[in-house]
Amino acid sequence: MKLLTKTNIYTSVTTIILFSLGVFFVFKVILLKFDSEQDEHLLSAKEIIIKSLKEGKSVEQFSSNIGEKIQIVEIYKQTTTVNSFKEYYQEIIGEEKAGESIILRELSFQCSINDKAYAITVSVSVSKKQEIGEYVVGIVILFLFISIIVLFIVYRFISAYIFSPFYDTLSKIKSWNIKKSESLTFKETEIKEFRLLNDTIQDLTQQIKSDYRNLKEFTENVSHEAQTPLSIISTKIELLMQEKNYSVKQHDSIQQIFQATQRLYKLNQVLILMSRIENKQFISTEKIDLITCFEEKLEELEDFIEAKQITIIKEFNSNVPKDLNPILSNILFNNLFINAIKYNLESGGTLKIILDNDSFSIENTSDRVEINKRFLYERFTKSSTSASLGVGLSLIKKIIDYFNWQIAYSHKDGVHKFKIYL
Amino acid sequence: MRILIIEDEKPLREDIIYYLSENGHKCDFASSVKSGLEKLSENKYSCALVDIGLPDGSGIEIIEYIKDKNPEMGVIIITAANSLEDKLTGLKIGADDYLTKPFHLSELSARIYSVLRRRNFGGKNTLIFDGLEIDTSEKKVLANGIQLQFTKKEYDILIYLASNPTHLITKEALAENIWGDKAEMATTFDFVYSQIKNLKKKLNEAGLTNFIKVVYGLGYKFKN
Repeated sequence: MKLLTKTNIYTSVTTIILFSLGVFFVFKVILLKFDSEQDEHLLSAKEIIIKSLKEGKSVEQFSSNIGEKIQIVEIYKQTTTVNSFKEYYQEIIGEEKAGESIILRELSFQCSINDKAYAITVSVSVSKKQEIGEYVVGIVILFLFISIIVLFIVYRFISAYIFSPFYDTLSKIKSWNIKKSESLTFKETEIKEFRLLNDTIQDLTQQIKSDYRNLKEFTENVSHEAQTPLSIISTKIELLMQEKNYSVKQHDSIQQIFQATQRLYKLNQVLILMSRIENKQFISTEKIDLITCFEEKLEELEDFIEAKQITIIKEFNSNVPKDLNPILSNILFNNLFINAIKYNLESGGTLKIILDNDSFSIENTSDRVEINKRFLYERFTKSSTSASLGVGLSLIKKIIDYFNWQIAYSHKDGVHKFKIYL
Repeated sequence: MRILIIEDEKPLREDIIYYLSENGHKCDFASSVKSGLEKLSENKYSCALVDIGLPDGSGIEIIEYIKDKNPEMGVIIITAANSLEDKLTGLKIGADDYLTKPFHLSELSARIYSVLRRRNFGGKNTLIFDGLEIDTSEKKVLANGIQLQFTKKEYDILIYLASNPTHLITKEALAENIWGDKAEMATTFDFVYSQIKNLKKKLNEAGLTNFIKVVYGLGYKFKN
């Protein structure tokens, strides 16, 4: 749910509640005022009636100009001096409006004039009261609706304006890449919260960037600086190996040191290669024909394919040359093919290469279980049975990313498949 | 052959000198661009090993000097793995070959032999050992005058071994030389072993016994 929708809902609910209360009070006040005016009117009618009675006028004479209806009854004795007001419905008697009723407000009082006691009721129609009430409620409800609709529309327009720095920030963070050198600059905004957000994000990304750079530089420096000592160790061991007359134990130690150094130096080479890819040091490209590339790789790996008696299946349905860096494409195809052979069945497996216009895939049979997709391309994750460095797939992924390609892995019925979308 | 080694890392330089001296080369050394240029102006060398990253400048300067004054001289660049551009520049201005640190001493020796052969130093392209004759320009191998048939890989291995007489050669170095970036596969398959076995068999059949000695667990030795 959008922030604005949520705000709108709350605002609307509050407005409706406030308006309803308002309507209720306004309604009440108007009614009270109306009643008190009617009562004043009735009281003044009372004065006129009393005055008229004192002057000896007959009842019929006032009815037309004072109120709706006057009823004067002679009583034996005045029992009260209290004015009592009462409101009631009365059905209209007559042809036209039969069934409808009117509301009457009635004042009853007693008085003694010239030794005679009277019980008098004066009543007026207050049907207008209902009408006025209905009008008031109607108008208020109308305003309520109009204001809610206006509110929605205004919010919609304002939000596009108010939230524009926010969306600007959002889209910039989305497209932000830690590897790119430019720092984030946001749209100027007067809104304090957004300014705070922008500043915080700016600080945060700066921090992340500098951490990332330090880490990257550290890795680069380590792998770079390690080369010379590794060279020294490597040549020293080679010279030590030239010596004769070692005991079996010494002999084994030297052999193991040598092999460990070899591993270390291959690892170092891969790390250097990776950081060079990250630093975009492979810019030059050549037109590379993938079919020729595949054929060359198969030829180079012939010995191993023969040794494992792997059947090669080729399905080349396209031959569009690609602009690629030759060094990286060589490393990529090398790694893909070596993996497909290395992890193939010990004997009699198959290796299938399919090339289409927009993709190619390499499938190999294997007795290995499916690779965990979560760690597929992470460095140094290797299955316990593998003696290799576990950076092969990570390197493949890095080059694929560099080429702006996509890679997908699937495993089905003992066949591992890497599909690369060009 | 007289070889100049321009490398600022002392232990590495000493090992190279020691190893190449054992192979019969006469080695001089320099540890900076300045002293390298001095040495080059004083003496004549068949080949120079040039490290690109030197304390007082780039080895490229030295290669330019060599190609200007003595274009006949062989040049092999030694670089760190992450300076590809230097390597390319070096090859462009006339270096014969390059090696990335760290490298096998046996590989260095083989490269030097190859450069020297290509540059025709000594006026002959034939390696002669006790009854074994390798004509590198024709790629022919004669055993007591009779030509032997080798596969390309067997021949490459033989040349590699012959470039490092008197030294033990590890199977890793051999694998890297023959299979390049697929060396890891070759070692897992024990391909070096099977190639050597074939090579030995062919030499034995031609009456050249004990030319290749297996040093258990470590590698091989070419008997001279």
